[in-house]
Amino acid sequence: MITVQRSVSGSSQSPRSPSSQPFLSVSVTDPVKLGNGVQAYISYRVITKTNFPEYQGPEKIVIRRYSDFVWLRDRLFEKYKGIFIPPLPEKSAVEKFRFSAEFIEMRRQALDIFVNRIASHQELQQSEDLRTFLQADEEMMERLRSHETGIFKKKPADLMQIFKDVQSRVSDVVLGKEKPVEESNPEYEKLKNYVFELENHLAEAQKHAYRLVKRHRELGQSLSDFGKAAKLLGACEGNALGKAFSELGAKSETLSIKLQKEAHQLLMSFEEPLKDYVRAVQSIKATIAERANAFRQQCELAETIKLKEINLDKLMLTRSDKVGEAEIEYKELKAASEEATNRFETIVRLMNEEIVRFQEQKTVDMGIAFHEFAKGQARLANGIADAWRSLLPKLEVCSS
Amino acid sequence: MEPQQRSVSGSSQSPRSPSSQPFLSVSVTDPVKLGNGVQAYISYRVITKTNFPEYQGPEKIVIRRYSDFVWLRDRLFEKYKGIFIPPLPEKSAVEKFRFSAEFIEMRRQALDIFVNRIASHQELQQSEDLRTFLQADEEMMERLRSHETGIFKKKPADLMQIFKDVQSRVSDVVLGKEKPVEESNPEYEKLKNYVFELENHLAEAQKHAYRLVKRHRELGQSLSDFGKAAKLLGACEGNALGKAFSELGAKSETLSIKLQKEAHQLLMSFEEPLKDYVRAVQSIKATIAERANAFRQQCELAETIKLKEINLDKLMLTRSDKVGEAEIEYKELKAASEEATNRFETIVRLMNEEIVRFQEQKTVDMGIAFHEFAKGQARLANGIADAWRSLLPKLEVCSS
Repeated sequence: MITVQRSVSGSSQSPRSPSSQPFLSVSVTDPVKLGNGVQAYISYRVITKTNFPEYQGPEKIVIRRYSDFVWLRDRLFEKYKGIFIPPLPEKSAVEKFRFSAEFIEMRRQALDIFVNRIASHQELQQSEDLRTFLQADEEMMERLRSHETGIFKKKPADLMQIFKDVQSRVSDVVLGKEKPVEESNPEYEKLKNYVFELENHLAEAQKHAYRLVKRHRELGQSLSDFGKAAKLLGACEGNALGKAFSELGAKSETLSIKLQKEAHQLLMSFEEPLKDYVRAVQSIKATIAERANAFRQQCELAETIKLKEINLDKLMLTRSDKVGEAEIEYKELKAASEEATNRFETIVRLMNEEIVRFQEQKTVDMGIAFHEFAKGQARLANGIADAWRSLLPKLEVCSS
Repeated sequence: MEPQQRSVSGSSQSPRSPSSQPFLSVSVTDPVKLGNGVQAYISYRVITKTNFPEYQGPEKIVIRRYSDFVWLRDRLFEKYKGIFIPPLPEKSAVEKFRFSAEFIEMRRQALDIFVNRIASHQELQQSEDLRTFLQADEEMMERLRSHETGIFKKKPADLMQIFKDVQSRVSDVVLGKEKPVEESNPEYEKLKNYVFELENHLAEAQKHAYRLVKRHRELGQSLSDFGKAAKLLGACEGNALGKAFSELGAKSETLSIKLQKEAHQLLMSFEEPLKDYVRAVQSIKATIAERANAFRQQCELAETIKLKEINLDKLMLTRSDKVGEAEIEYKELKAASEEATNRFETIVRLMNEEIVRFQEQKTVDMGIAFHEFAKGQARLANGIADAWRSLLPKLEVCSS
């Protein structure tokens, strides 16, 4: 849970005292299993503390479930094109794993990080949907959640209708059905290649990091099994050799516990951040797709306007009575084209800021994750070395 | 391979100089794959250096294969009842593993240890079959090997025939077919229980030790995979973060090699000695079975003699003409009975010495194995701790 400061620039409030600094602080806590059988799900307590004037009060507690977070993410994705919407943890897991303590805790952490990233983002923190998510009662939330069946209606509807008509005519005639239009921007091409390559390599690294966790667990389990067997052997032998077996067994069991602990640490402090990185890159890919859409819309409208100009001139020359109608359509298309251009340019501008922010944040996050990894491994290895070395004097007695 | 000293007591030679001390030194070396397909097998060079007078010369080199060692073990087992015949490595392995370098080396070592234990055993080293094994040419060896189909003919044959007749009559009439006769010796009962319990616990411990080796290998493999993926990631990122990924990757690959080395060490210096211990205990069980056989023979002959006495008295009273024949049979049975008693008592005496020798040797062997295990684990863990710690300063740069 991170307390976030809203940027003072652009705000009418001047800082008089620390308590009047704008802040929005959220935490996702207390996972509770509700419902039965296949309908069972986890609910979380979402606690908001803030002094933003748009909010109902200084503190609010609501109950939310995973699909509410999905709703918020989808709304933000539609509204804030160009911004890398923070990623959510995956929807489903293997059934038997779905309610394990570890999975629940990992999901809770990821959801907490999700909301806090939104709350600390200069633009996203001002979202009305965020306010709804953090404050609406549960019935309201349920209504909103079920209302969203994936079709998100844009405003104004008319504009969209014109555009859709245009799109089908223009696509067939002008652009043909071969290749979608793409930006010819070398810098941007480089960025896109980097993002796609990064996603592949990250997914590989994350997969192997997960296997590393698994191998730690398996080694720990084998050490534990061996320890038990060695102790039984020690009890059976009963002399100096028996004592040696028993000590070996006890040490093995101790180290098995260390290994299991470290496997858990690896999972939480290293593998999960890697997975988070993968999700973040996928979110960037979604934004790349949105930018491509916006670019295509801009191009298609520009082409349509050219056709309409030609048509209008023709009508004016022939003094047709359809001129008035055509002029109105032309004006509307011009407005739509301007809006499409604005949308595209906004996305480009936002993306450029987002890339910088993303790179910086990722460098810090991954740096921390690696540090934790190396520290944890060193700590584990030292503990193991000490444990075995403490055994050597007792074993020397045996072999002399 | 160690030069072996024959005990001077009982020998007519007095030590004049070190070079005239009796020694018998054997080594099993140079495994070579011969033959093709399913007929393929490994041959070994067996080099003997000795000054025992019964041997053909000071040095002899012969070629032997696994089934030749089996022949020697079987002959010694038949001849030297009461002595724990050193164990052989297992006959077969999973087909694809049978010619792997590791398996061949492990088997070679085990065969070398086998022959040397025989050569250093006060009684076994005098065996004629050992001399044959160490000196006969390959055709002779092949003839002997194929001649032995498992039926080992005893001398004298007549005695055996009488005994077999007696056995069937006595078993049915006197002893019934319910329970075989067993010694009622509390110390010996304790020993037997210990041996059977030990075998179970040892087999368990050895199984888990083998799994430990496997887990080390798997962890090493996962670290290697992760290292490669991290390096690819580093190449893709290209900045401070990329450098961190690459360092992490390189370190992981280094440690993977350490782990594979340690897994191999674990196998050779720990898991294999445990397996050797298991085989040795199985050899003791075989001797226990031989002792039970000898005891039963002794009892059955004693019973038969009683019957024969009664029968003889009867015949003498009736002045039957069968008396002469019966007296001869009686004398032969008495001789057989004495021999059976001697055989049993020899086994008991030898076993008592063997147990003491075995316990002492095993304590030393296992003590060394545990020591190697703990040292190896400590060494590995230290290497790992140092490697990860050396990385920390470079990673700190990233996360600040």
